[in-house]
Parts: sequence; C-alpha cells; structure tokens
Amino acid sequence: MTQPSSAVPPSRAPLPEDTLAAVQAALGAEHAAVWVYGLVSAFLPATFDKAIAEGATAHRACRDTTGRLLGAAGATPEPAEPAYLPPKPVTDQASALELVVNAETDTTTAWRAAMERTDAPDVRRIALDALKSSAARSTRWRKTAGLTPLTPPLPGQP
Amino acid sequence: MSTTPPTPVSVSRRVLLLSTLATGLVACTPTPASPPPPDPLAALAARARADAALASAIASATPALAGVAEEVAKVRGEHAAVLQKEVDRERPPKPSSSAAPTTTAAPTVPSNPKAALAEGLKGASDEASEVAVAVPRHRAGMVGSVAAGCVSLLEVLA
Repeated sequence: MTQPSSAVPPSRAPLPEDTLAAVQAALGAEHAAVWVYGLVSAFLPATFDKAIAEGATAHRACRDTTGRLLGAAGATPEPAEPAYLPPKPVTDQASALELVVNAETDTTTAWRAAMERTDAPDVRRIALDALKSSAARSTRWRKTAGLTPLTPPLPGQP
Repeated sequence: MSTTPPTPVSVSRRVLLLSTLATGLVACTPTPASPPPPDPLAALAARARADAALASAIASATPALAGVAEEVAKVRGEHAAVLQKEVDRERPPKPSSSAAPTTTAAPTVPSNPKAALAEGLKGASDEASEVAVAVPRHRAGMVGSVAAGCVSLLEVLA
C-alpha cells in the first residue's frame, strides 16, 4: 500500500466533467488531510510522531499523484485552502485524534465517490489505492483513540 | 389451498440460462482466460460468507481471539449481504430457489486461526480490488468499500 502503485503518464485523455469534479473533490479532501496532520501534531505527544509522519507522507503522496493525474488530463488541480475549519475545536489529545479519524473518513468517502464517477481503470486504481490506505489508517487511529467500532463495514460509504 | 403444481423444470431452465449467459460473457471478454463466473460479485459474496463462517467458528473456539474474530465475522457478514443483494437485484433469483447457497457445515478451526483470518482477508481484498476496477460505476463504490473493509480488518487483527 505504500508503494507508488499509481504511475501517472505525462498526458492522458481529458476526464469527463463528472469524473473531473469527483477527482477535484477528492484532491480537496487530501489537501485538508495534509493540513489536519500538521495541526494535530501540536496536540499529540511524541509517541504519535511516527504515525503522524506516515499519515502526512501518505496524503502528500496521494495529493501529488492526484495533481499529476489532473495535469495529465489537461486540468488545473485545485489548490489547498490557506486553512480549514475543524468540525469541532481541537484542544487536546482526544479532540486531535477525533479530527484525524474524521480526516481519514472524509478521504475514504471522497475516493469512493470518485470510483463511482469514472469508467477509467487508471482513475479507478488511484481512487481505490487511496480509499484502502485511508481506511487502514482510519482503523489504526481508531484503535489508538479507543474508538469503536474499529472499522465501518464499508469504508467510504456515505 | 394452492393447486399450483411443482415446477421441477425451473432449476434446469435456470442452469441453462446461466450457462448461456456465461458463454456470452466469454465471447465479450478481451482476455480469454478460464470462463468467468456469471457474476463476479457472486464469487465475492461467497467468499465473504465463508470468511464470516470461519471467523464465527474461530470466535467460539478461541477465546483469546473472540473479540477480533467477532468483528471479522460481523463485517464480512455485512459484505456478503450487500454483495448478494446486488447480485439478486441484477438477476433476481426465482422465488422457489431463493435459498442462498447453503454451506451450513461449520468450518474447521485451523491450527493458526489468526494467520488463517489474515490470509483470507488479504485474498479477499485483492480479489475485490481486481473486481472494483472493472465493474460498472454503480457497483464500483460498493466493491471498493468491500476491499477497503478487508484492509481495515487486517488492521483490526494486527
């Protein structure tokens, strides 16, 4: 899951409008996840450093792959927002863990939606890889945070 | 009191129909591998049912693994249900033969139950991932979520 399984060619056919919108939305979720990992690092003790680094690296890689896909299809990747508004204020370890789980859940939802809005196998694969790796991280964080159930039966299902 | 006679021909008619469909699929499939099953989701559903049954057996036989095995049984049981529902929606079963494939014999608990669960989930995730890339849009999200659910269960087991 950590290998860059999604080599994007320098150019590909343009994406249909609905696919494009879904992939841009997933890119938005990736931008938000990268931001969230940056924020929560301030609220979590050093024992979480490795998990935070792993998650942040994975989301940056996914963001970059998605940006390359959009660029190859002749589209302009949507940029990140300067900041994001967490659904709940982050004040301590528990609220930080909740926010990371939220961010991972949001990316699974966005990528599953992208899978349903494309027929292209290359886009499907990128979306599926992202959906699976976010789902796995979400479960790891739920374990850490003591949240149950540890996984929804169908990660990404809205 | 109904006077409808039993319809012994229905089964053979269904078998005939299925085999005709399978032949049609072979003709349309670009990779002439071994004949594909009539509906790829039916194989995923059967696999999910088997995983759930094995996990239930392990949960009863191995107290140390009961918690995680029950989680696997629950999630894989839900996978089986949603996959079978989609199989039946697309190709409704005859009311007389609606009994799901019955493999009621309780599976034998393997000597290394945890490894057996993990191996099953890895295989299930790989199989669902292949199917998720190729199916029509309306199935892609569901199958992708099944793959992601299996990956998450591996983290539950870890």
